[in-house]
Amino acid sequence: MKSSRALLLLLLFVAVAFGAWKFFSSRGPGAADHLTVYYTKLDGTTLGRWPVSLRTQQSGESDIEHLHNMVLYAAVQAVAGPPSDVSAIRFPPGTHVLGVNVHGSTATVDLSKDVTSQGGGSFGETGEFKGLVYTVTGVPTIQAVQVTIEGSTVATLPGGHLELDTPLRRSDF
Amino acid sequence: MLLAAASARASTATYLFDGRPLALTHVSHAAGAAAVGINDPGLRSLVRSLGAVITWHPGERYVLITTGAAQVISFSVGDRGYDVGPLSATAEFAPYLVGSEVYLPLADLLRSLSLAPRSDGNATVLQREITSIDVRGSAQQAILVARGAGSLSPRVASESGDTIVYAFDGFGSTLEGSRPVDAGGVRSMQVRVTGSVRNPRTLVTLTLQPGTRHDPPRSNDGDFEVAFGGGGSAPPLLAGGASAPVAAAPVATMTPVAEPTPPFASASPPDGTNASAAPAGTTIATVGGVSVQNGSDGATVTIPVVGNAQFAWHRLRAPDNRFWIDVQNAHLADGPLDQPEPDPLISVRVRQIDPQTVRVALSVAGSKNISVSPSATGIAISVGTQEVADGPHFGSGSVGTLVSSNEPQALVTPVPPDEYGQNDAGATWKFGPHSTYVPTRPKLIVIDPGHGGGDVGTTRNGVTEASLTLDMAKRLQAILVARGWQVQLTRETDVDVKRTTQSAQEAISDGYRSTDAQDLQARDDIANNAGARLFVSIHVNSFINSGPSGTTTYFSKPDDVPLAQAVQHDLAATLGTKDDGTIKSKLYVTLHANMPAVLVETAFLSNPDDYAKLNSADWRQRVAESIADGIDQYAKQYPVPSANQ
Repeated sequence: MKSSRALLLLLLFVAVAFGAWKFFSSRGPGAADHLTVYYTKLDGTTLGRWPVSLRTQQSGESDIEHLHNMVLYAAVQAVAGPPSDVSAIRFPPGTHVLGVNVHGSTATVDLSKDVTSQGGGSFGETGEFKGLVYTVTGVPTIQAVQVTIEGSTVATLPGGHLELDTPLRRSDF
Repeated sequence: MLLAAASARASTATYLFDGRPLALTHVSHAAGAAAVGINDPGLRSLVRSLGAVITWHPGERYVLITTGAAQVISFSVGDRGYDVGPLSATAEFAPYLVGSEVYLPLADLLRSLSLAPRSDGNATVLQREITSIDVRGSAQQAILVARGAGSLSPRVASESGDTIVYAFDGFGSTLEGSRPVDAGGVRSMQVRVTGSVRNPRTLVTLTLQPGTRHDPPRSNDGDFEVAFGGGGSAPPLLAGGASAPVAAAPVATMTPVAEPTPPFASASPPDGTNASAAPAGTTIATVGGVSVQNGSDGATVTIPVVGNAQFAWHRLRAPDNRFWIDVQNAHLADGPLDQPEPDPLISVRVRQIDPQTVRVALSVAGSKNISVSPSATGIAISVGTQEVADGPHFGSGSVGTLVSSNEPQALVTPVPPDEYGQNDAGATWKFGPHSTYVPTRPKLIVIDPGHGGGDVGTTRNGVTEASLTLDMAKRLQAILVARGWQVQLTRETDVDVKRTTQSAQEAISDGYRSTDAQDLQARDDIANNAGARLFVSIHVNSFINSGPSGTTTYFSKPDDVPLAQAVQHDLAATLGTKDDGTIKSKLYVTLHANMPAVLVETAFLSNPDDYAKLNSADWRQRVAESIADGIDQYAKQYPVPSANQ
């Protein structure tokens, strides 16, 4: 009697554990159907935000693939900025995302060299990268953003101010 | 990865674009629908000529196209849903893979790029389209904004006392018609398309009141903008910011008078559904009897909807307080509505903006809180009386038997200060400096004139940042020395600092570090090696347009905060500039200085008013005096322990 009760309890435990595993694994890294894109307002510091729709994880799309896709989507949206009728600090015209990579909790965002055509002040650099970092680190599990330009790590932009050769975090702004 | 549709035999389709043949060679006609491969050289060329960029790599799900107007078009492999900026749409069929190339629904792609295929004899012309023309404004000012395929730069075709005609050569449009405006001296607007299919021309004629003046047209992220206002010799109507600062509602919006862009003739796309403007398997919903109820807590706009429909709402930030909601796949049963409303609304407009979309547009008296509640029978929009900071600018959902919304609660909420209030240096380290730094020379302050040598910094009309910062640094040096401080400048002339120090080369061990970083590190080395008490870097700000202005003190470390606050405290008030406060940023020179360090961006060379100030020696002297006062105030408040004096 005791052994059958123990077996029943064991089966119950296994069933609950399996159910919990299925529930959490099926959520994947991004169950949200929208992503918040941040931009820095023209006061140079406060953030605006707007949601963009995001496709939920497809069957056959692994968690790693889905994470990569979300990071790419977030980075491209952040670099494009909000609709043109919204006042925002924007990346220099032509700046676009060449690709992304994810290693652990750090996302590498490779930008086109157009980003080096800055106006020349701390204002633009800080505002642009702050929006990018807040947006990309809004993707679940991403904590930091390493910026590269045309595939290369740079210490700063030419004549620039912001240190870019180590990953940027929200706490940097 | 993802889905792999049945492969299709590639074929070639030839179009005319901007007067030249354009061959698409990676065209699939699987199941009768036209699809184009993402690696098609013709497509790449087309996209490039529109100033757009495609981001996609094999294995990735999203095909993202950033347009010249900084709008993202996002297709997703295996998903019919796609987005054009904030708008969601349903494609004829889902993008699919053939080998390692993704194929996109051609008609939807062209439409999202504001291109319209038009027949001309045996040829198909891909015509650039102007997709929106809007006049925003008030009685005093009006701004004409146009958007279309690529960057818009029309010419003034004619200008007389009471009319001005802008010609958009090479552009067609479905926005033909006339609208009254009555704002900013603009009486009315007429849009007319002339020319041929191969050489279209859209003419926008504005009828003006006598004495109405206008700024030169300008491009704002590819959009065409021109501002109008009353007569006289007032300053420019637009300050040069990123967006038009006109606090008023839309006064005239041109909307399509015909089917926007006819879809390509196609039997059925690969997923077997019929290609049509409306999503397959759905019937068109009906909108009718829109009403407004006013109460003490605001107004509620009720939009009855019979049937199932998707909706998308948009909101423009203050001061342009517009809100509109588009009910898609819907027909307006009543006639259009345009009526004034009491506070918190200004007006409500209802109309059929295209054969599939009903738009309800609200002009709101201020940044009121707004919420959208979909239900089985329609949509309720509640506009409260409370002013709110900022929030989402768009959302979407569905109404009918399947109700959903991505923002079911209040759509606009005050911004939480802990997450967004970045101007909160004091809050972050409110108990003062955590400094363990002990200066070996407590009377020494290192002043860093930004840039110099091969890096002149920002420039305007021959005035360089490097020369301005050196001037202000020397003035600050003189004042501080007179007050008993020891001062060392990182450079005394117009030179690269890295050439003046040996330690910089030694400190830079990473091979990839740029010469710019070597220069910045050399500046820090001077202060670090000397054991200075404080490091103050002086700069001049700049931006890609002339809008931003003001004075900011940047910092990076907890140690920097009290110094930044002390320096910034009276700086802007003394200088007569806009007070942009203290801002935290990962700036190289402040981060790598061992001691409390700040970077003062004194003013914007790119802003006309600030530029005039920077050119004044008296003003630069006041910069130096005010920074010196801040340093003295800091030193008084945070004295170095007596053992180190």
